[in-house]
Amino acid sequence: MKKIVGLITANYSTKYPTALSETRPVASMPYLGRYRVVDFALSNMVNCGIRTVGMVMPYNYRSLIDHVGSGRDWDLNRKKGGLFILPGSAFGTSRTGSRFLLRDLVHNKAFLERGEGDLAILSSASFVYNMDYSDLVAAHRASGADITVLTKRASEKDVDVTGFNVDGSRVKSLKHGVEFADTAFLDCFVVGREFLLQMLEWYQQTDYLDLFEAMAADYARVNVQTYNYEGYAAAIFNKDSYFRANMDLLDPMVSDELFPEGRTIRTKAHDNAPAKFERGSRVTNSRISGSCRISGVVSNSILGRGVVVESGASVNNAIVMQSCVIQSGARVENAIVDRNNVVPAGTELRGTPEALFIKEKAAE
Amino acid sequence: MSKKECIAMLLAGGQGSRLGVLTKDVAKPAVSFGGKYRIIDFALSNCANSGIDTVGVLTQYRPYLLHSYLGTGGAWNLNESDGGVSILPPYATQTGGAWYEGTADAVTQNIGFIEQNDPEYVLILSGDQLYSMDYQAMLESHKRHGADLTVAVMPVPWEEASRFGIITQDEDERIVKFTEKPNKPDSNLASMGIYIFNAQLLVDTLNEDAIDQTSEHDFGNNIIPKLLADGRRLYTYEYNGFWRDVGTISSYHETSMDLLGAKPAFDLFDIQAPIMSNSSTKPPAYIGPNGAVDDCLVGNGSRIFGRVAHSIISTDSYVGERAIVEDSVLLPGACVKAGAHVARAILGEHSVIEENVVLGSVDQTRDTAVIGNNVVVGKGEE
Repeated sequence: MKKIVGLITANYSTKYPTALSETRPVASMPYLGRYRVVDFALSNMVNCGIRTVGMVMPYNYRSLIDHVGSGRDWDLNRKKGGLFILPGSAFGTSRTGSRFLLRDLVHNKAFLERGEGDLAILSSASFVYNMDYSDLVAAHRASGADITVLTKRASEKDVDVTGFNVDGSRVKSLKHGVEFADTAFLDCFVVGREFLLQMLEWYQQTDYLDLFEAMAADYARVNVQTYNYEGYAAAIFNKDSYFRANMDLLDPMVSDELFPEGRTIRTKAHDNAPAKFERGSRVTNSRISGSCRISGVVSNSILGRGVVVESGASVNNAIVMQSCVIQSGARVENAIVDRNNVVPAGTELRGTPEALFIKEKAAE
Repeated sequence: MSKKECIAMLLAGGQGSRLGVLTKDVAKPAVSFGGKYRIIDFALSNCANSGIDTVGVLTQYRPYLLHSYLGTGGAWNLNESDGGVSILPPYATQTGGAWYEGTADAVTQNIGFIEQNDPEYVLILSGDQLYSMDYQAMLESHKRHGADLTVAVMPVPWEEASRFGIITQDEDERIVKFTEKPNKPDSNLASMGIYIFNAQLLVDTLNEDAIDQTSEHDFGNNIIPKLLADGRRLYTYEYNGFWRDVGTISSYHETSMDLLGAKPAFDLFDIQAPIMSNSSTKPPAYIGPNGAVDDCLVGNGSRIFGRVAHSIISTDSYVGERAIVEDSVLLPGACVKAGAHVARAILGEHSVIEENVVLGSVDQTRDTAVIGNNVVVGKGEE
């Protein structure tokens, strides 16, 4: 594949803050025990051969920098190209609309100007899917569009996902929120690098807008085509969609789609021992990460790295993040337990399937 | 290049022929162990954790997997611009080239690497042993004794002593006698094959040994006895933790089982310094609705739908519905299909046990069943 530059806007947070999003942007939300949401945007780019990726940082970038480091785990620690950490607008990160604030792009024009290749792929870090972007690029080149946006058919009402009103595959206008069968935007598009730079000139005066909002009057002259993605894709915009996107991976069919042979989702490597299932443990329909130690009962749950479930403890329908300890006799159900929590012996953290219990991150 | 106090030479060229089909395609140090590791991870992690940042890895037998696994050493924090991991396969010179003919010969052929780094001390390691050890403490002991050579030793059961190189020492830990595999051992201190040499003495001794027609060019058989005979200062460094050289299929199986249980003999969760590895990135293990996992280590990417007990289930393994796996080791990518029954077996990487096949027996008196890498076992072929 010809050279393409990638740009990830990682500076978006959720509109519905919970204890989970207080300390981190969506991009660095832990996902499926060992990943962070940004791994998907990064891996999708790297897996189609992109080796120059800019990442627009949020103001609370500590966890994100800690995760991506030099980009080594994505083969982005390179002599030429590699990972570029780019400054992002300090605030206004949890807004309606798609996730390409013009100000962020204008401020980082130098990155796009210096990049090699004729195309740029831009993506947010708020969706989970595993796609070969070569297909998107091929469709873009074949259609001769100015911009090709990655879309999917909405499976449900989602007020946080941006939609498009379309005529065939041509975008007519932007739509905030989607309903069943709408054309939902996966916050990813491919565009000519020169053309993008030209647009940044056009819209410089309205840099407080999202790129696709700024284009509102121009959809007739700018040819924006949709490319419909058929595979599994989940948006992570609030605690319920976050929980669902994790639990979907208890379905082996979804798992095969998100983690196919040959297209690895890369993440920061850790030196964990394998998970240890002690004598007498009972684990069913669950995902267990490295260096977990399970002596109790775990069902319908996702456990992050190094979680300990003591004998007599039970975890059901829950996400338990890294380094938590569920002590003997404790019970966790319908809950999301953030990192480093110790659930003391004999206590309960219980929500309902409709109203999940959220336990905020504990100090290390 | 800054001067290094101590560099390591890691012998990783051995075939490990007694591991049979497990080393048919790969060198013994590259054999998978413990669910996510390869044997060489242990020595490399020990180096990194002991602050030794220059490691020459001497390879020879079936090196492809080993070489690609080592990469630039980054997985063990050994990607140093000044030092790091250097892969040292046999090479040719103007006067020809030769295979490594013994442990000492392998190092002799790489004296250039030692001279290039110009260290004060050289640590000689074997890439096929499982243990967690602080070489810095051994180096301190070497310096404290003012030794020419320090040999790491460990007490072994008397009845097994004749399988090892046995060392007799005086009350100051100075070595007075070294015997390879003695019939009647007079000590139960076994050499672990881990040595710290004063670099200049090592180079001189190897050069002399190289022209000795009668020598087998082996550290245990030739170099140590010679230095002892020369009256050099040879000292021991006693190690009392877990240490295994998994030489055979049965010891490989036994050592794997040592990782299990409530208080494992070799506890991966109770090690001061982490064992690092160049592992592939896979999603967390999935246990299906009818899965049952009891007393097991399970690596990432595994999918378990059947019943698994007292076993090591390595990265990316698969156990189908109604399948039973017990007292076994599934190496990475091994697949046990629905309804199969595997007991006391080692399944090679990406091997496949077809549906309803019965393999192995829990009977301890029977040999451990071993299936080679990529081998498919169908019904009637067990």
